[in-house]
Amino acid sequence: MTPILTIAGNTVRELVRSKLLYNLLLFAALFVAGSLLVAQLTIGNWVRIILDMGLGALEITGALIAIVIGVGIVAGEIQRKTILPTLAKPVPRWAFCVGRYAGLLLLLVVDAVVVVALLAAVLRLAGYRMETTVLQAVALLCVEFAVLSAVAVLFASFSTPILAASYAFAIFFIGHLLPDLRLFADKSRSAAARSFARGFYALLPDLELLNLKSQAANLMAVSPAYVWRAAGYGVAYAAVVLALAVFIFSRRDLN
Amino acid sequence: MPVFLRAPAATLLFALAVAAAGVLRVSAQRHVPADIEDELDVPPIPGEIAKALSFGFHSLLADLTLLEAIQILPQRHGDMTPEVAGPLDRRLYRLLSYSVEVDPKFAGAYRFVGAALPHETMDGKVYGVLNAVQLLEKGLRERPDDWHMGFLLGFLQSYYLHDFSAAARSLSVAAKQPHAPPWVGLLATRLAAQGGELDVATSLAEAMLAQANEEETRKQWQERVDALHMERDLRAIEDAARRYREARGVVPRSVQALVAAGFLPAAPREPHGGRYLIAADGSVSSSAAERLRAYGLATKFEIH
Repeated sequence: MTPILTIAGNTVRELVRSKLLYNLLLFAALFVAGSLLVAQLTIGNWVRIILDMGLGALEITGALIAIVIGVGIVAGEIQRKTILPTLAKPVPRWAFCVGRYAGLLLLLVVDAVVVVALLAAVLRLAGYRMETTVLQAVALLCVEFAVLSAVAVLFASFSTPILAASYAFAIFFIGHLLPDLRLFADKSRSAAARSFARGFYALLPDLELLNLKSQAANLMAVSPAYVWRAAGYGVAYAAVVLALAVFIFSRRDLN
Repeated sequence: MPVFLRAPAATLLFALAVAAAGVLRVSAQRHVPADIEDELDVPPIPGEIAKALSFGFHSLLADLTLLEAIQILPQRHGDMTPEVAGPLDRRLYRLLSYSVEVDPKFAGAYRFVGAALPHETMDGKVYGVLNAVQLLEKGLRERPDDWHMGFLLGFLQSYYLHDFSAAARSLSVAAKQPHAPPWVGLLATRLAAQGGELDVATSLAEAMLAQANEEETRKQWQERVDALHMERDLRAIEDAARRYREARGVVPRSVQALVAAGFLPAAPREPHGGRYLIAADGSVSSSAAERLRAYGLATKFEIH
């Protein structure tokens, strides 16, 4: 456990010096604060605009951090060969992978806390309070970040940074299209197309299951049972992807 | 080139570029092509596809289309001819239907539909009501928990379309929602009585009476139940009086006369403690209370 914690701590220390992180946080902060101005264009439904823009900013920054930084902390290290001194120490490769992932995840949770605090302040300023559904939506967004980080680490474990980031972004976009793929599978008359679509659906992460932004913006209650199940699905999926990343990374020739 | 010449030349070039940018910007703005929405009456991307391609941000996309619709509304004036207002109406409808297609649970967009789409002209014509009804029916299906959906739909159905039965049904759905004000249910029963749907009205009023916790609310609903029972009796007496008149050629003088002649099984008890009266012209009334009717709905509109 110690090597994982050490590497996770080092990852956090390394990333808090990253300019990209602060730029993304600044973008999120401006977006959340700007929602108060945009909300004035609507008629009596400020809370929806504020929540849509706030949660949207959180998802965009979180996804960018998970993918861009997630790829950089593994594939970037390999490309720059800066990984070699670390692995020369008694650190197993799996611990390096898991530690990097844990550090990134911690940073993403901090990012979410900062954006949510700002969102709560803007809501309060506009005379609204934070509903439970908003917190549920944020919790599931964090699970989405966990999945995306694992996917980024997986692709970074065997590919170059640019390709790994491209693959991870593709998974992000496809992940949000999967309900339509499932619909296609249900409605298709061709058995081959049905099997193909169902196979892809099972293989890829259904990120729409982790998307409660619309319910939060519409102030609609969501059952805790659903949130637990969806979060469980996301965590399990991330664990499987991370295990796959560790498996590939452990066998990779780094020279 | 010598240094003393280079600096002024660079400054001049910079000033020229700034001036050109300013002049060309104004010139380009003058020649900007017409918005594609003004020329096409279909959205550039259908709502279903836009929803999929919003990659989980469909709620934000629905906000943007609603905001655009809100910006269009002030451009429409009451004194515009239908030819001038038509493109604005179509654009407004398209944006709002796009908004609720992308996010079918968007209660704010449905509420705006009810307020913005229908508009009257000075010559008694009304535009956009059918489109608004269509979208609000979807709103009632998608967000039955928001009492505004049923209320707005019921208002359009009763005020413009004079479909009191449908209005009563819409308002009944609204009245059963936890945050609905008590008058929504009272209005539903009044419209149901007007539309001849006494069973719907009575079952709603009795259900609301059973749920009412406060004394004042219980009293209001008890009065409404009594009024509906009275309306049921008045209709039965009217029917019997009509048959009496057809059979005998004269108007019956009293309810007792109808009972004696076998046109009514028994004289109904007036729930307010009064008596039922038959006028010389055959109309029936109560001595204690007025009949349940919806008022202010006499205006007939030409629906477009």
